[in-house]
Amino acid sequence: MVRRRNPKVQVDVIRKTHQEAGMTVRKHGIIAAVLAAVCAAAIVAASSASAAGKPIIIGYPIDKAGNMAPFDGPALAAAGIEISKINKQGGWKGRRLKIITCDTQSSNAAKSKACALDLIGRGAVIGMVTCDVEFAAPATQEFLNKGMLTVAPCIGTDQMGPKRFGAKGKLAFSFGNVAQDEGAAMAEWAYKQKGWRTADLATNNLLAYFKQIVQAFKSRFTQLGGKINGEESYTSFQNDFGNAVSRLNGEKADVIVTSTSFGELPGIVNGLRSLGNNTPILNSWAGDGTYWTGDKPKVTNYFAVTYASIGGDDPNPAVNLLAKQVKAGTGGFVTGAAAIDGILAALKQAGTTKGSALAAAMEKFKKVPTISGNVSFSAKYHSVFGRQYRVIEIENNVLRRVGLVTASSPANIG
Amino acid sequence: MRWTRSLSELAPPALLVVVVGVVGSGTSPARQIDFQTALVSVAIVVALYVFVGNSGVLSFGQISFAAVGGYAAGVMTVPVELKVGTLPALAPLLRDHTIGNLPSLLLAAAFGAVYAALVALPLMRLSGLAAGIATFAVLEITHNILHEWTKIGPGAGVLSLVPETTGMLQATLGALVVMAIAYGYQRTRFGRQLRATREDPAAAQAVGISVHRQRLIAFTLSGGLSGFAGALYVHQIGSLTADQLYLELTFLSLAMLVVGGATSLWGAVVGALAVSGLDSFLGQAESGVNIGFTLNLPTGTRLVAVGAVMALVLVLRPTGITGGREFSLTWLRQLRRKERTA
Repeated sequence: MVRRRNPKVQVDVIRKTHQEAGMTVRKHGIIAAVLAAVCAAAIVAASSASAAGKPIIIGYPIDKAGNMAPFDGPALAAAGIEISKINKQGGWKGRRLKIITCDTQSSNAAKSKACALDLIGRGAVIGMVTCDVEFAAPATQEFLNKGMLTVAPCIGTDQMGPKRFGAKGKLAFSFGNVAQDEGAAMAEWAYKQKGWRTADLATNNLLAYFKQIVQAFKSRFTQLGGKINGEESYTSFQNDFGNAVSRLNGEKADVIVTSTSFGELPGIVNGLRSLGNNTPILNSWAGDGTYWTGDKPKVTNYFAVTYASIGGDDPNPAVNLLAKQVKAGTGGFVTGAAAIDGILAALKQAGTTKGSALAAAMEKFKKVPTISGNVSFSAKYHSVFGRQYRVIEIENNVLRRVGLVTASSPANIG
Repeated sequence: MRWTRSLSELAPPALLVVVVGVVGSGTSPARQIDFQTALVSVAIVVALYVFVGNSGVLSFGQISFAAVGGYAAGVMTVPVELKVGTLPALAPLLRDHTIGNLPSLLLAAAFGAVYAALVALPLMRLSGLAAGIATFAVLEITHNILHEWTKIGPGAGVLSLVPETTGMLQATLGALVVMAIAYGYQRTRFGRQLRATREDPAAAQAVGISVHRQRLIAFTLSGGLSGFAGALYVHQIGSLTADQLYLELTFLSLAMLVVGGATSLWGAVVGALAVSGLDSFLGQAESGVNIGFTLNLPTGTRLVAVGAVMALVLVLRPTGITGGREFSLTWLRQLRRKERTA
């Protein structure tokens, strides 16, 4: 520990000694000034040494065992690996990055809030939150109340920002793709690369993300000249997807577009295939994953756009390595590492850990490189747009990457 | 004498709640949330007790009144300028007005009471299993309306930016207010008549007590207090989704009441605090807690343990920890007498 000295006391002591010795005023003035300068330099050096050694702590309330665990676990693991890499390269200004976590116990609201306060108490200066804005809200609000930059790895709507959290939401960002961009990318890939001209839409009303994907697809697909043959809806956990399947089967189109996960995903795919309907099905990142590995049910002609291919065939070797390290279940894992890259870029641009400065820097991100590709934010979108998507296909229960697509712009869905 | 008895029965649970509030105030901000949650749980469980404890009829629907109160208080306290962006589909009446903390608590209580009264009119004619199932249906209906109707709230989304006004003081005072009203009610003629119907409905009816009317009164009061407790809840967390005030809280609050002792206020308070304390401790233990040695329990232990404790209490002491009786010094006196005679 460096012992700090008060230069004023030093000067007084020296002055007294010099007077007693009968030295000239000029002489002792010079000596005092030199000593004061030395002391001041020592203090500055000591304080900057301690700042240099002080890690930048990122507080991440995570769900260890509940519904959000499959998202939080891989995102945390990927973030941890990225942080190790950054720290080996010297961190930021000689300061290491460090993640500390707290279990929200199945995203319990009170526990999430307590977790955020606990992490703040343990020195967190930047917040990370889970990938669903409903579950993330209690912790997000605590971080925002403290003026901290708060990032979610993979919230896929425009809710992580001012739209949901008002003026304080200027400090909130998500490294997930905004649904307006993802739906537009799906439409552009379907229309331009696959040549599909007609589509049936099936909207899952459970989440805003699910709904906005389909809205964005419709907006961009029709803008390009595509035609929507039929529009159906269903809601997860309401057991009503069977009706949607029957009607979709009756409406012939080049592609069936939906955004869903949970039990409705296999339900819809199996339902259609068992009716002998082999129309291509296009899903969002919600439909990425390892659901189809194994023998049953047999899945073919199924497509989804995602952040990264977990089949070992991602165009970025670093992503393939990371996927292996975190044993990824979906391409969403990469957003944990991307969030860290984004935080580092913001730190470099802002030169401080102050939330408002970091957020101002982040809002100006234009094609900032991260391990997940280039990310951009704007005042309107605090979730990523302009990132390159991987299109994966499941054919005979084997996952492979079949394309890459970047939306020309996010779709306007109001 | 009556006053002395009232004081001796109400003071111990009130003192316990005050002690929890005072002890909690001295802890870290993160731990304070656990204490606040325990105090809000007291309000929720005591509100539940007003009907379930006094009538002996199981209700799964009381949390729906807490949800209605929570949403009413939450929606009406989000500042107007923030509602435009965060709740764009809100009805103009709700969108263009904001009220303060105390009015929001009273509004929540009024909403809870009115809604409960409307529900109670047909439902309180039922008894036994049918009554329980019907209240469950109320919970389902309420949840779905709150989950889907964006004119009165955020729908499936999250109600955010609610002022976090339920600190330790307000949580303590809120719990005390609910307890005082609950105790006051159980000492009135209405409370006694309802308890009579609980013990023997046929005999109660034979002496001219209207079971339907008494249950209706208690259900309405319980709904009002639940609405008030729901408002405390939303102002504690600062955000709300329809799932937060739904099944898990329904079963947890019933477990608290059963563990403490369903037929007394003392039981409701002890049960709420004991289960909340156990829940918080085990939650911490899942992340590792130092109690002389480091206790690190596997994830999920919390729910298993709370369930096991409930089952254990039901087996070993079906009337709950307190035996379903109000706090009394009588047994202490009896113990002293025995010592003297010995």
